[in-house]
Amino acid sequence: MTAAVPATEAAVPAGRDMPRAVTLLVFARDRGIFILWGAIILAFSFWCAPYFATLDNAMLVANAAAITAIFAAGVGIGVMTGVLDLSLPGTAAFAACVVGWLMTHGQPTWLSLTVGLLAGAVVGLVNGLIALRGFNPIIVTIGTLSALSGLAAVIAGGYTFPGLRSLQFMGTDRYVGVPAPVYIVAVLFLAGFLFLTRTRDGIRLMAVGGNAEAARRSGIHSERYRVLGFVISGLCAALGGLVSTAVTTEATPEASPGIIFNALTAVALAGVALTGGRGSLPRVLVGALILATIANGLTIRGVQPYWATVLTGVLLLGSLGLERVIQRSVSNRLMATANLSVHSGKA
Amino acid sequence: MMTAALRLTGIDMHYGYVRALTGIDFHVQPGEVVGLLGDNGAGKSTLLKIMSGAHRPSGGTVEVHGRKVELHEPSDAARAGVQMVYQDLALVDAQDIATNLNIGREILRRGPLGWLGFVDHKAMRRRSEAELDRLGVRTAPMTRPVEMLSGGQRQVVALARSAIRVAGAGQGVLLLDEPTAALGYEQTKQVEALIRRMAAEGVAIVLVTHNLPLCHEVADRVVILNRGVKVADVRLDETENDHIVGWITGARPSQFVTRQEIS
Ligand SMILES: Nc1ncnc2c1ncn2[C@@H]1O[C@H](COP(=O)(O)OP(=O)(O)OP(=O)(O)O)[C@@H](O)[C@H]1O
Ligand SMILES: [Mg+2]
Repeated sequence: MTAAVPATEAAVPAGRDMPRAVTLLVFARDRGIFILWGAIILAFSFWCAPYFATLDNAMLVANAAAITAIFAAGVGIGVMTGVLDLSLPGTAAFAACVVGWLMTHGQPTWLSLTVGLLAGAVVGLVNGLIALRGFNPIIVTIGTLSALSGLAAVIAGGYTFPGLRSLQFMGTDRYVGVPAPVYIVAVLFLAGFLFLTRTRDGIRLMAVGGNAEAARRSGIHSERYRVLGFVISGLCAALGGLVSTAVTTEATPEASPGIIFNALTAVALAGVALTGGRGSLPRVLVGALILATIANGLTIRGVQPYWATVLTGVLLLGSLGLERVIQRSVSNRLMATANLSVHSGKA
Repeated sequence: MMTAALRLTGIDMHYGYVRALTGIDFHVQPGEVVGLLGDNGAGKSTLLKIMSGAHRPSGGTVEVHGRKVELHEPSDAARAGVQMVYQDLALVDAQDIATNLNIGREILRRGPLGWLGFVDHKAMRRRSEAELDRLGVRTAPMTRPVEMLSGGQRQVVALARSAIRVAGAGQGVLLLDEPTAALGYEQTKQVEALIRRMAAEGVAIVLVTHNLPLCHEVADRVVILNRGVKVADVRLDETENDHIVGWITGARPSQFVTRQEIS
């Protein structure tokens, strides 16, 4: 009954290592998008030679991907933490108009930019606090989307803020030949990646996205982290709005829904599960780069731009199907080995 | 006599008009495994939820190590050294074993990176490995995502997550609701070994189960509920299986004189 347990016997034997096939499948699932991007680049390099595979063109692609990438970071971090924030275009327009207003009213650039970013964070905070009251985040953020684009128009008085030339340093200027937005994206993704994988709050954020109940039982205030997800998403949206403004040197109150579609496409291509808790920022970045690469390559060949949209759609559906297949076969294989170890143990 | 690790006295519980528990007295000593038995709806889970702070009793008192406590929510119980392993494990599937074991008690790096909130993955993995070794548990490599574990391994991770926290709180109390419900023969044996080992470390364990063989294997004593009333509280070496089954089904009269009989 109370028989002593032999001290050396492990309660669970060290599982034999995962079968090779599973390791490979998991690799394909996690790194597949990098391979896909490589394949696309390779294909275009031949098909669009000699114009595609040049340093100048690489800069063009990177720059074209930059703004989508910033918004995709917001959507991606939101989705990973269990939040789908549709208010992004509204937040972007609102932050841009706040900056435009401040700058045309004689405020220094740094102050205007800081306030613009803060505005994004506040929008995220409000979104988060409303969603915490048990309202569906999608509906809440659709509401704030509409409210914010209206507010942006109010700030702009029905017009736009043109001629914001002092923002060029983060828009069209190049440093060592590389456009400014590319640096911003690099810093943003590096910081986001380190935050989500290396820091306490980032790891908790991912855990809350994956299983809020599990996090709660480990003594974590899930709600705070959910709000933090909204705040980060709002910050990214504001940053996206500011960079767009800097590139065009004009702040417009127009909240273009295309922003959210592009960002969502990049995020979905990156295999970020909409159920939360899963995904990685580097893959989201590559997702945005794939969109830009396809558009660029097809433009070089003079293909109509709508074919780029068709192609991305097909890629997206294909990647969904592939992921399903991989997931199935991983769990089948794992199931087989689990049964094996139980039965062989009994003999 | 030692003070009980956990003692409940005169616990009543109503859900609206439903009387789930009436006047339950219950205790568990450090290092003791008590099986909590009873038919479906007897009130086992309800009693366990009161011990874990998930529910507040309508009447009665709860003492942890001789000190009276008010458990308003599970985190109060956790602070008092009482941990519960729920039937639905609640693990973060996409994260690895180390993350699941360390969440909420992360080790930060030293120096400026630590001030920024950077965690020390290596130190956490090492600590978890040492903790699992002490529990005598080997699962899979620490970096394996939980979604890739078998049912038994997941169960062990969930148990270990609570066991580690209990062990950290000195002589704690571990509450288990059907820990082997989904497990096969071999995996049940492994969980049994884990339970015994934790008891040997001085952890007080309350085990809710329908699995009588499991109870015989690991429990020192059983408490049997029937329709919200305690009908038996016996050491397993002082009773036999037929009696236990009789108390569970209600075929055997209660060990205790019920209040109705007095009045
Ligand atoms: N949230 C609730 N609201 C109302 N009644 C409840 C609630 N939870 C439990 N009950 C009632 O309390 C009684 C005891 O339920 P409890 O879940 O504790 O039983 P149990 O012994 O755990 O049963 P099982 O073996 O089926 O898990 C039952 O009559 C049940 O219907
Ligand atoms: Mg129950």
